[in-house]
Amino acid sequence: MRALVIDDSRTMRRIIVGVLTALGFETVEAADGRQALDVLEQGIEVDLACIDWNMPVMNGLEFVVAVRERKDWRGVTLMMVTTESEHGQIVRALAAGAHEYMIKPFTPDAVKEKLQLLGLVEIEELV
Amino acid sequence: MTLAPDTFAFVADLVRRRSAIQLEPGKEYLVESRLLPLARTAGLLDVDSYVRGIRAAPHPTTLEAVVEALTTNETSWFRDALPFRALVDHVVPEMLTATTSGMFAPQLRIWSAACSSGQEPYSIAMALADVLAPSRMKITATDLSDQMLERGRSGRYSQLEINRGLPAPMLVKHFTRAGADWEIAQPLRSAVTFQRHNLLDAPPVGGPFDVVFLRNVLIYFDLATKRDVLRRVQQAMRPGGFLLLGAAETTIGVDDGWERVSVGRSSVYRLAPRRAA
Amino acid sequence: MSMQVDTTAFAGTDPVYVIAEEVFSSMIDGEPGFLRHWDGDPPPIVDAMHAWVDVHGATNGRVLLSTERSTADDLARALLQMGPTEPVSDEDFADALGEVANIVGGNVKALVPDPGVLTLPQVTHERPHTDPEALIYELPLDWRGSLVVIGLWRLL
Repeated sequence: MRALVIDDSRTMRRIIVGVLTALGFETVEAADGRQALDVLEQGIEVDLACIDWNMPVMNGLEFVVAVRERKDWRGVTLMMVTTESEHGQIVRALAAGAHEYMIKPFTPDAVKEKLQLLGLVEIEELV
Repeated sequence: MTLAPDTFAFVADLVRRRSAIQLEPGKEYLVESRLLPLARTAGLLDVDSYVRGIRAAPHPTTLEAVVEALTTNETSWFRDALPFRALVDHVVPEMLTATTSGMFAPQLRIWSAACSSGQEPYSIAMALADVLAPSRMKITATDLSDQMLERGRSGRYSQLEINRGLPAPMLVKHFTRAGADWEIAQPLRSAVTFQRHNLLDAPPVGGPFDVVFLRNVLIYFDLATKRDVLRRVQQAMRPGGFLLLGAAETTIGVDDGWERVSVGRSSVYRLAPRRAA
Repeated sequence: MSMQVDTTAFAGTDPVYVIAEEVFSSMIDGEPGFLRHWDGDPPPIVDAMHAWVDVHGATNGRVLLSTERSTADDLARALLQMGPTEPVSDEDFADALGEVANIVGGNVKALVPDPGVLTLPQVTHERPHTDPEALIYELPLDWRGSLVVIGLWRLL
């Protein structure tokens, strides 16, 4: 599994990369939506994108819209990871095509559970 | 303040068995600082007397509170995911079929036992809301702790709690912002009734139940108590009803009144037809 | 961020405190218990660092986080999961402190009825200009014995 971590804060990218690496993901980083599109356009295959909302150049919502317009990028699961936490903002992101939404702050367990919901991380085997 | 060695040993053992987290010697300060608020709430001055009380009369809710305080594990929504899928994909269709033969009418009655702060009963309500009108579900949520019941009744959850396993579409559909918190919508709140109950007492009102969630509770009991609890649960259920247990729990080897049914990657337990009374 | 923020309703369940507590417990300390209300009158902050985000929309406001440089260093190290004496580069420092302001600010924004757009965070040694009359609410916090102040300001 490979994840694209999109956030203008290098601190936040480091935190998210740390959590994803522990869950077995390879990671690629981008500092804004435009850089992230460049990664996809290079043909780098990505299973998951963790997307900040407020970024310079191209914000996360614009990135989601751009990805959803491309048929060949249908396989990318889009999860917003943002401090935007109003009900209306979450509705907007989901309507634009985001699959999940994680509000900052979060714990590593919360990331794992969201990825389980998305089928990207195994739910622990039961008895 | 120093923690008695046997207090630390007891807490460390409990946490290890329950969460696989090892509390190494030297973490006494952690046990002390995390459990002190619980001790104070219980009206005690120090952690040693609090833990002594727990050891004298262990109860799942208290034990879980201790484990949670030390593992900072907020209760998750749709915990382990699979039981809720089993409920919607298997149990409800079975029950709806059974309706024609007179069962399961007019409401599906569900008991969420040891419900803690309410994430489980509300997750059940949300899962069912996709297939059933809220007026057709009657969820009885019980716990021993008045504080937990009060939190459940309030239907309010912090941002960190909301992040734990709640799918975003469910969040926007069933919750509204309330200050820094989120509040669950009224129709689902009215489908859930909170009630104080001890698993070793007579069943709660609201039954007989079609489905019982008794998850991550039996693990705290010895075999004799497990049997006792399961027998009481049986008496609270309709024949043919379903029991959902935690991931590490089973009725097998404990109580033979149940038929194990595999649903996808998990199992549910169906109450065997009742013997003639 | 406006006069519509009913700060009197904060008593007891101060949502700004709740937000700060969540940010610190989950992302900075990894466990609760290290952030509390400052006991008594907070002393003036010497060698201060300021990090803030603004909300622009129907009403304009600023969420400003101020603390001593050494505390800010500790905050950055904690957030970046660095050792207690590891040197923090200026870039990492500004980024980490800005992100704390961003997370607090974004969540505070959700408290107001008609929230607008959040700006990208800024971090400076100089205190940004705010009209003294425009203070809506100030919350002095004790993080591991050090003072951290979160202020909500109206922008005129």
